[in-house]
Amino acid sequence: MPIEIPKDKWPGSIRKVTLGATAAEGGTRAKTVTVGGQATMPYLHFEAPTPNQPVVAIEIKSRKPEDWSPLLAEVWGEAMADPAKWAKAAEAAGADLIVLALTLADTPDDAVKAVKSVLGATGLPVIVWGPGQAEKDNELLVPVAEAAKGEKLVLGLCEDKNYRTIVATAMANGHLIQCRTPMDVNLAKQLNILITDMGLPADRILMDPTTGALGYGIEYGYSVMERLRLAALQGDSMTQMPLIVTPGFEAWKAKESKVGEGVPAAWGNWKERAVHWETLTAAALMESGADILILRHPESVKRIKAAISELVTA
Amino acid sequence: MTNHTITFTLADSKTVTVQARTGSLLSEAARQAGVEIGQPCGGQGRCGRCLVQVTAGPVRRRSTLRLANEDIQQGFALACQTVIEGDAAVFVPPQEKIERRLTTDRVAAEVSVPAGYEYSHAQTVRRVHLTLKSPSMDDQTDDWSRLQTALRTQLGINDTGISLGLMQKISAILREGEWRVTAILATMNPETPETSPTRIVALQPGHVDEYSPLWGIAVDIGTTTVSLWLVDLVSGQARAQVAEYNGQIARGEDVISRIVYAGKDGGADEMRSLVLGTINGLLETACKRVKASPQEVVKAAISGNSTMIHLLLGIPAGNIRLSPFITAVNHPPLLTGIETGLAIATDAIVDCLPGVASYVGADITAGVLSSGLNNAEEVTLFLDVGTNGETVLGNRDWLVTCACSAGPAFEGAGVIHGMRATAGAIEEVWINSETYEPGLRVIGGGKPKGICGSGLISLLAEMLLTGILDKGGNVALTVNSKRVREGDHGPEYVVVWGAETETGQDIVISHVDVDNLMRAKAAIYAGFTMLAQQVDFKLEDVHKILIGGSFGKYINVEKAVQIGLLPDVPWERFEFLGNTSVRGAYYALLDWRERENIRQIASRMTYIELSADNTFYDAFMSAMFLPHTDMDKFPSVSAALNKSS
Repeated sequence: MPIEIPKDKWPGSIRKVTLGATAAEGGTRAKTVTVGGQATMPYLHFEAPTPNQPVVAIEIKSRKPEDWSPLLAEVWGEAMADPAKWAKAAEAAGADLIVLALTLADTPDDAVKAVKSVLGATGLPVIVWGPGQAEKDNELLVPVAEAAKGEKLVLGLCEDKNYRTIVATAMANGHLIQCRTPMDVNLAKQLNILITDMGLPADRILMDPTTGALGYGIEYGYSVMERLRLAALQGDSMTQMPLIVTPGFEAWKAKESKVGEGVPAAWGNWKERAVHWETLTAAALMESGADILILRHPESVKRIKAAISELVTA
Repeated sequence: MTNHTITFTLADSKTVTVQARTGSLLSEAARQAGVEIGQPCGGQGRCGRCLVQVTAGPVRRRSTLRLANEDIQQGFALACQTVIEGDAAVFVPPQEKIERRLTTDRVAAEVSVPAGYEYSHAQTVRRVHLTLKSPSMDDQTDDWSRLQTALRTQLGINDTGISLGLMQKISAILREGEWRVTAILATMNPETPETSPTRIVALQPGHVDEYSPLWGIAVDIGTTTVSLWLVDLVSGQARAQVAEYNGQIARGEDVISRIVYAGKDGGADEMRSLVLGTINGLLETACKRVKASPQEVVKAAISGNSTMIHLLLGIPAGNIRLSPFITAVNHPPLLTGIETGLAIATDAIVDCLPGVASYVGADITAGVLSSGLNNAEEVTLFLDVGTNGETVLGNRDWLVTCACSAGPAFEGAGVIHGMRATAGAIEEVWINSETYEPGLRVIGGGKPKGICGSGLISLLAEMLLTGILDKGGNVALTVNSKRVREGDHGPEYVVVWGAETETGQDIVISHVDVDNLMRAKAAIYAGFTMLAQQVDFKLEDVHKILIGGSFGKYINVEKAVQIGLLPDVPWERFEFLGNTSVRGAYYALLDWRERENIRQIASRMTYIELSADNTFYDAFMSAMFLPHTDMDKFPSVSAALNKSS
């Protein structure tokens, strides 16, 4: 007996957002990356095609991070001391995008220099994060946005108490923004409203709903993403932004990845466990609808990219 | 361009005439004529304060949003929205007449004695004159029996009780009045007064004038504000109405922190004496106004949320806070003045009205009574905008209720320059959308001291509409005005410069204040939307929305909708009732049948616990935005925001 699979038809869809600009579009990128466009829940190919598959970004920093796990230092080696080299290595490791995180030690000149050197070293679209303190973010991101005018960078992180300056400079210089809210559907939507109220077109916003690592609240992050996606498909235009998440940052904070000593023997091989932790965190988020996954370890990148291609060709 | 003659007639009958061109505005002609017409919103047709009456001549109204049809027929028009099309005559009404004409404004009804109030039928206490036989060697009956005999033979009362305190005074009083005595009696069962047990509440020597006042008090113990009405039980009139912040505020802003404090060593006694201090202080103030003594008060009806009643009576309130949230008592028995510690007559009847549950107390049952919701034919929503945002939905057939902690912001507490709605409080604010300069209305008309609840509502809405606040409640420091600045508590807006205030200090509203107000309005909005959802009723189908709260006399419903405190339904559905709890207590104080109605209301209400799952939190977060995250629920506000931006 033939079984008919029930199909949902949604009134809404996710906005297409393009990162980066080629020379023809006023930038210097070798290629652009487009995410979004889905008209159904993730990977339900029988309901609607997935026009743009999830992409992987690799996070690098403007200065060598001292607090990263030795496992990451081991795999990136010397490149960590030079953002241009690190960006090249990341591209070679399979990244679709580069995230350049600026640090508190950077001056505006340092920040501009780091961004320019990364833009020179790679043809991939670039996401630039401030160090995460409102005033310092504004101080660094404004000159960066001006120096890279037309590149269609993504500037982050915009939060509800700190969005005006970043949004204003993104509008003036043709960039995108990554806006972050603390794991709440309403807060995510509210920040999108505030930002579009300022006049930034909705197709220049990536939504970062915040997540936790495996074992550290990932279920909550997962369900917030799922609810955002459901609201978007139901036609709520202020939740139809593509989702960008940071499983690398979250997973490498977890004791299970970070620490190799003083843990139970049953936890097994540290390096394997650490990569598993990052991969599993990322895979769960991917399945809940993430469009951009930001990772740290090249092995995780490889595994996640394999998982993506299996899911989209299934 | 043709010139037309415009004649303005002022309230004092003076007239001024000017020439104005076709297509110019009445407000421009008024300015030219030197006629003062308020335009605090900057002439955008937002505030309605430039209301005038066109008595003759052709004009065209660009907007009639704020006017009722009959007012338009009578020629009323907003000067800033009225285009001159010919010679016209215009009457400029005095400012205080204007507010009642606007469809957005709600003024609480004055208190009046309930129609048909008859002391002899409605009261449970009464004053009687007795004349006793003098004792002699032939009649050695004891004083108390002698008094009982008089009650039996003169009034047919067989079962009379008396306290030891009064017994100690009987002999002296009887002799002082030479065996003529006035007794204040309380009937324990007013349905059958003839056979009801009776208690003597007070005795006075001689025969006191039958129609002289017999004093009672109606009290509402709010978490933030305590209100007291001193009532003459004979005429039924409320002769003095006073209010003050609850002295317990210093020990916690909400009921939970009060309960926690009362649970500490000595805490319960302290809480009790703090609230007694507030009530007794109010009692003294009220009595002074009518030249009475607190000791003459023979009956009290007390309303308040369950926690407040527990703390007043010194009953441990700890279980109210803990699951499954059980009170010690929802319906206390009749008590006396001395037991409760109120500074009224020792044997006065103290009647604490019945509540429903831990978080739905007598303030709500009394509120429902005074709002008339229990008799409504159509489905009606009753909102008590107080520290505990209680909501009741229903009609004469069914009543459901819920409560949610909103905090004291709308009572002016927890806001730096907030105050109660008394003289000196800013009760209305309009902000000019070009200059960001505010126009104010101050209660009593003097220099402003602070901002009360209704002022805070209109201030918040105006800041949103003029772009000083974003929808997230952030103050936009980018606004080009020296009134918007970085202050001690973060970004703030200066409502009044120090030079113009009572205290000499700037009156400001800070980011923190905005946040507190948003939390309060979000809790209340989430409460009633969840309640409606629970019984599967659409808010837009609610026939009437009754608003209670300590806002003073006034609330602008348009502004309350704009901040998302009230739902976006047509303005005419709203009714503002003022403090419904104390009003309910007043009705119960006067008439035992109303008292019985409150008991029935309490037994009929179904309480819905909102904390049972996390949908309330979701609704709350969704409402933590101006006006709301889901803008589709606020079409009129969307339109106003689009127009102003």
